Amino acid sequence: MNGPVLDLTRDITERLSRQFDEVAVLAIKRRELMMKIWNSEPSITQMWSKLNLQLRLAKSGRLWILTYETHEPEVLLKYTEEIIKVADKVTESELYAPLPDYALCKPVSGAFDQNIEFYMSYPDKLVESLVVETLSTGAGRVSGTIALSRVERVLITSKGYECNEVKSEFKVYVRAFKDEFTGHWAHGSTHISHSAIREVGRRAGMYATITRNRVDFAPGEYNVILSPLVVGNLFEYVAHMASALSVLTGFSMFAKHKPGDSVAAECFSLYDAPRDTSLPGTLGFDDEGVETRNKPIIENGMFTSFLHNAATASKMSTKSTGNAGWIRPRPWSLDITGGDVREDELIRELRNGVFVVNNWYTRLQNYYEGVFSTVSRDTALLIKNGEVAGHVGRIRIASTFNKLMKNIQGLSRERFDVWWWEVRIPTRAPFMVVSNTQLTKPEV
Amino acid sequence: MKLQVDPTLLYRVVDRGRELGAQYVEARFQNDYRVSVTTRNNKVLAVSSSESSGIGIRVLVNGALGFAATNSTSLADLLELVEHAVSQASAMSRLRKRPIEFSEENLGNVKYSVNEKKRLTDFNVEEMIKLAMEIYNAAKSAVKEVKLPFLITDIRVHIQEKLVVTSDGAYIESRIPRLYISALLTLLHPQRGTLQRSREFGGSGGVELIEKWDPVRVISEEQVALERVLISGVEPPREKVAVVLGSEVVGLVVHESAGHPMEADRILGREASQAGESYVKPEYIGNYRIGNKYATVVDDPTLLNSYGFYLYDDEGVKARPRYLYKEGLINEPLHNRHTARVFNVKSNGASRSMDYASEPIVRMGNTYLVPGEMSFEELIEDVDLGVYVKSYMEWNIDDIRWNQRYVGLEAYMIRNGELAEPVRNPVLEFTTGWFYSNILGVDRNLEFYPGICGKGEPSQGVPVWFGGPNVKLSKMQVGVLA
Repeated sequence: MNGPVLDLTRDITERLSRQFDEVAVLAIKRRELMMKIWNSEPSITQMWSKLNLQLRLAKSGRLWILTYETHEPEVLLKYTEEIIKVADKVTESELYAPLPDYALCKPVSGAFDQNIEFYMSYPDKLVESLVVETLSTGAGRVSGTIALSRVERVLITSKGYECNEVKSEFKVYVRAFKDEFTGHWAHGSTHISHSAIREVGRRAGMYATITRNRVDFAPGEYNVILSPLVVGNLFEYVAHMASALSVLTGFSMFAKHKPGDSVAAECFSLYDAPRDTSLPGTLGFDDEGVETRNKPIIENGMFTSFLHNAATASKMSTKSTGNAGWIRPRPWSLDITGGDVREDELIRELRNGVFVVNNWYTRLQNYYEGVFSTVSRDTALLIKNGEVAGHVGRIRIASTFNKLMKNIQGLSRERFDVWWWEVRIPTRAPFMVVSNTQLTKPEV
Repeated sequence: MKLQVDPTLLYRVVDRGRELGAQYVEARFQNDYRVSVTTRNNKVLAVSSSESSGIGIRVLVNGALGFAATNSTSLADLLELVEHAVSQASAMSRLRKRPIEFSEENLGNVKYSVNEKKRLTDFNVEEMIKLAMEIYNAAKSAVKEVKLPFLITDIRVHIQEKLVVTSDGAYIESRIPRLYISALLTLLHPQRGTLQRSREFGGSGGVELIEKWDPVRVISEEQVALERVLISGVEPPREKVAVVLGSEVVGLVVHESAGHPMEADRILGREASQAGESYVKPEYIGNYRIGNKYATVVDDPTLLNSYGFYLYDDEGVKARPRYLYKEGLINEPLHNRHTARVFNVKSNGASRSMDYASEPIVRMGNTYLVPGEMSFEELIEDVDLGVYVKSYMEWNIDDIRWNQRYVGLEAYMIRNGELAEPVRNPVLEFTTGWFYSNILGVDRNLEFYPGICGKGEPSQGVPVWFGGPNVKLSKMQVGVLA
């Protein structure tokens, strides 16, 4: 973080510490470039240069959260004066706990790639490479996105904590079209990778051109292969439901569980992985200044840990897991362990079932029970006798997360770092084989 | 209305962009100020406020678009930014085979704001907390046999101010105050399990909206109904039956299967790798029939006190009602100036931006199915056996807006033309074509519901209303949850 912003953050913390019992100031400075591709041509290039200032203010157990993205950060002080005037009108927050005591600053290192800054000046080469690689598979047209970011983050608290860190982010995803068929792939990292761009293009094109057959589809229970894109999307919901606030508000299927309960097949483990500096969700300290650590949410099928900040931990008589959010604890990056099935053997080993390459629009009827459905997009293939029979069109997975996790039969050795519009938490995920999964499609 | 930016700053940006060779430059100042209170049962979780303020610049250079945004209002920073935007667009233009062009329009030169009888800025935190407590106490008292372990209330004030200037003469200054209230409830019965509901209220205007919405009464009355559903809801019939959809469900259906597929940028494929494309092809416009005489869907941003209200869009074009489907015919897509040019028509003012850092893209405002004349009782009087689905929780639709699913929450059997016992979790799956071709009747009870509609990359959530009357459909198979 450069001098003026750091100085401003310190100044705000110091001045507000005179008026509030506790002050935490989080400043995030982002510089970002995003290129969107439409019908194999650039549709728009977008650039952002933003400073986001967040304040957590506490006085006599009352809690205020302020977020400002403004050209006049000093205006924050004006708003805090208004807060002081009405402080005694606000009741104490149920989610107040003292900020953690002073701790050493331990930022992540190795999460910044200088090359990203270089390519912010020459992004057209990346766009060209992605389009050429995708079209080389025989795809007819290409849509997608490449985004590059530099993110600086500083946290100062009235408990004496001060830390800052810098990382870069690289996101690429593409959808390839071949007549009525489409394929999709995505990648996210802290480091730019030309081989990843080529891989994304190659895989999207491969799925778009894998077969030209259309086959009939009857709704019912199937054994399914879920690609890392689908796994990333679905387990993002599971990870959010591990947030202790989700449990406290009734919006979690884990409300009925305690650590040690069996919630998934033994082969399945899901980790929150903030210390993995290759995944773009990486960070060294959470919003309360607690050092982050990798931790299991589910390990060998057992529910292992809720995600906590200081307040939810206090309410559940435990310690923060380094996942603050001042109000909502949240996962940073997800890591799902692989298994022993080779990717190129998945279809043969499934024998009969459906392979879902991508999905979107996951919605829940009931979070407490984990009842959800999600819709396939891009390729969904009927597998017969270990071979691709053809496209089944757009179908829907309708199940509960409990059932889905219990029915995991296998995981691929190969894992992929996925991050895109429908996988918002950067996730390292394998292909997943799930038995007896309800698939639907409208009959009218 | 006192503007928080000097307009000459935006004109300097526009002039500099033109000097650098851009055919079109648009500079938009936008300030979004929000205050919210979140409660859990009878306790405050947090009081929050936020302000997002800055300038977004869009340029068209040699047929390529560039967008840049910053918090800074320093002239030097803004001039540097417009230079970057022009330079990046220019570099990308070599990869474009077909240049992007904008339609020529009669652009606005106006200032407007939404009237507030009692200003939202005077709705203080203490009053918000009091309202949240009233909602909780009323909902808790309403249920007798089930528990209400969780009620999360969110009350938000949002003041949005914009100034848009363009190199071809638009000047649009606007102020839109919005109020939003949501309640997320969990009902629990030891033997019958749980039921969850999200109930929202939203609109533009002042504090007086609360009186109109009466959220304390509406939410508590709904708990009485939901308690019945949880305790005595039956499985839907196994045979095909007539289905009547409530306004809330109809509103969502038309938003998803008329509004979205009629966004012209989606029809052209611009959102293909994110929000998807459309079953509608350009040649369908004015030629293809998707439904019967009841299938008239309008999107109208100019509805007073609506959540999706605006009078001019973010490209300076005057907003007006758009008849997306007209008596079953695919009629008029939502356009911005780019898609209008491609279709060789005039823009109908559908270009919106979530905040200063978002490019303006084609969006809905307030989308609804046109109501009829009959009462609800008349609508269902000839239904011997059917299911009435009044509200929903789970829904989704595919990426071309054809295959869709809605899972009912408050639902009832219809027997001999009257509402009967409650039904639990009826699952409806149908295609867009089936829905609009199988409307047998619509009543006169037009109701609207608020939502935040997501689209774009980075994703932009903009406030919308969706609505409709109660709608009677042909017989269909009603499913159950797996």
